[in-house]
Amino acid sequence: MRLRASRRPRTVSLAEHSPLRHADPRTKLALSLCASLAVMLPLDRLVAFIALYVVLLLWARLLPEAARQIWRLKWVLIPLFILDWLLVGLDLAVIVTLRIILLAGAFALFVRTTTPSELRLALEWLRVPYRYAFSVSLAFQSVGLLEDEWHTIREAQRSRGAWNLEWKGWRKLSSQAVGRAGLLPAWLRHLSPRTLLRMYESLVSQVREFVALTVPAIVLTTKRAWSLTEAAYARGFDSPRRSSYRRLSMQRQDWILLTAAVLVGILYLGWRVAGPFM
Amino acid sequence: MSHAVQAQEVAYAYPQHGYGLPSVSLQLDPGEVLHVAGPSGSGKSTLARCLSGLIPHLYRGRLTGEVRLAGLRTHTAPLWRLAEQAGLVFQNPAAQMLTVTTEDEIIFGLENLGLPPSVIESRLETALARFHLEPFRHRSPHTLSGGEQQKLALAAITARQPPVLILDEPLSMLDSTASMELVAHLEDLARAGTTVVICEHRGEYLQAVPSLQTVHLNGSASPTAEPGHRLTRAAPQVAHFRLDVSNLTVRLGGRPVLRDVTLSAESGQVLAIVGRNGVGKTTLLRALAGLQQYRGEITVGGQRPDFGIVYQNPSLQLFNATVREEVLYRIDDPDLDRYAWLMAALGLSRYEETPPLLLSEGEKKRLALAMTLMRGPRHGILLDEPALGQDAAHKAILMRLASALADEGQLVILTTHDLALASQADRMLILGENGFVADGPPAEVLSDDDPWAQVSLRVPSWVVSE
Repeated sequence: MRLRASRRPRTVSLAEHSPLRHADPRTKLALSLCASLAVMLPLDRLVAFIALYVVLLLWARLLPEAARQIWRLKWVLIPLFILDWLLVGLDLAVIVTLRIILLAGAFALFVRTTTPSELRLALEWLRVPYRYAFSVSLAFQSVGLLEDEWHTIREAQRSRGAWNLEWKGWRKLSSQAVGRAGLLPAWLRHLSPRTLLRMYESLVSQVREFVALTVPAIVLTTKRAWSLTEAAYARGFDSPRRSSYRRLSMQRQDWILLTAAVLVGILYLGWRVAGPFM
Repeated sequence: MSHAVQAQEVAYAYPQHGYGLPSVSLQLDPGEVLHVAGPSGSGKSTLARCLSGLIPHLYRGRLTGEVRLAGLRTHTAPLWRLAEQAGLVFQNPAAQMLTVTTEDEIIFGLENLGLPPSVIESRLETALARFHLEPFRHRSPHTLSGGEQQKLALAAITARQPPVLILDEPLSMLDSTASMELVAHLEDLARAGTTVVICEHRGEYLQAVPSLQTVHLNGSASPTAEPGHRLTRAAPQVAHFRLDVSNLTVRLGGRPVLRDVTLSAESGQVLAIVGRNGVGKTTLLRALAGLQQYRGEITVGGQRPDFGIVYQNPSLQLFNATVREEVLYRIDDPDLDRYAWLMAALGLSRYEETPPLLLSEGEKKRLALAMTLMRGPRHGILLDEPALGQDAAHKAILMRLASALADEGQLVILTTHDLALASQADRMLILGENGFVADGPPAEVLSDDDPWAQVSLRVPSWVVSE
């Protein structure tokens, strides 16, 4: 049995090279939120905004990161685009796709440069109670870990032959059928009740397999959540007298970024008021 | 005056399965050290949770008797007050990491004490230095090795300076040097007035602690495979083969983990690989199992080897409804004879219908071993820290099983921090930063001081004298 070797380091890393890495999390949160509000713009302004945003990402050296984030959504974006195009029209397909791309990209800026504890501090500054701020930051860091865990589980199970059938059953079946028939119409004729039954059985076993493999993922996630709860309480998580070691402080860069964001906002508002369609 | 810890007829039963802790009474004063011994599943972890107050605060289930920490009744005092009194370090360090940097992990507990930043700063530095964690201070705890994570978990709790320290299997993942350092540190803390409770299988390390008290928990669980159980069986002999590893190099996240490791091993042997925490033992096994990308060559007769691997954390592999289904999963036409033999040899016979995830950590580990062996990998098995969470009786069974497999003609490669266990292998190898620094029969390797000094591992006296 051959296993696919793991390629990536099992870590959740931040974009350390980005000039935004050490910006104040509040600034970044504001920028991401503003960018995500821009999805409401009509197409021409949306395109103009995205261009502006790409410039910001280029400066922040985050363009590849954002692109990767968006690329992950390809299996949502591509069918959606095609569906919208076919059912409604190209205009809608383009604008909907661009909006999702912007939304995904907007938060890449924040996610790739902010640690969970910075997020927690920003939320606390926004008057979110500590309990919730901490939980959100824990969830925030867990996303990458869950992905890692899922990967490890699959690996551990592959080493036992699970996932081994993985669509191979299908390939085998269809290649058998094609091999036997040679030509497509002949192949179709070979769809005997027995073949269909075999295909059905293969499908059922694969679904069952998938369900079986989700079990440890769910169990482990629940257990992890429980262990983390215990660990947090064992270190006084519920203490009413907390202090804070790190403090947020706005630097010059933060003010410049925020001012620029406000200016862009005013520009767009003005454009909106003066715009021909408003 | 109230005692640091006072437990009166404390007993607990988990709501899920009704097992837990049989009645225990104990009384500890400042500066006393208690070793809680007992076989796997006897309730050591449950006692730790009862003493720290997590039971009854976070657990339903039936708790009888009462625990007082410096006079505070755990039933009624808020959990954060109890956490200030008694610091608990859990068994599985990876599952208690709450933040994304080593530094933040320690800071978290200090902030919850309400300490001013300057005090947090100084305690942080002390903790990082004490547990040799400075090089990792900005790294994610999830990228550390098991032993390093264990040290971090200890650092995060001891930095809070609780008057009572409760440690659940703190030595299980530590190498011998780190274990001795930790025990010395605990002695210092005890001299300064901290009460220390250690639930631990590897009691040898604690024998040197002056005025050590020991309590034995005799849970219902004890090895079912009686010492005389037949472990050799007439099995088809595996044809002789030779494993060759040359210039194996692995980089993880830009850091070199293994550099130019070269190894060759004949079949029919048990190899024990020892080394400092984080030196790449797990990575080596993963590479041998084909789970890790590497540069270099790993071959058996010119081909890729087929090894079964048992992970450090066996829970990842478990997903079936019963132990029996788990072991027989995806095996066409299983050899039920071998199945029965494995279950008996590994002390799992009475759990056949139990859901695997309800077993104790040590039992899960043995289950994972049974699963791997049942698949019958062609060249042998790789065991990552097989002694983790296993009591002495099970360790003995494990080693006998390993040599039975070697007798069949398989190759068994295990990594361990337990030098006493490693000394029972046919061959002992010490892995250093740049490949193996020693290789030979355990008696020879143990008697040569140089390689141990080279990797700064200490050999405890009881290992040599055995």
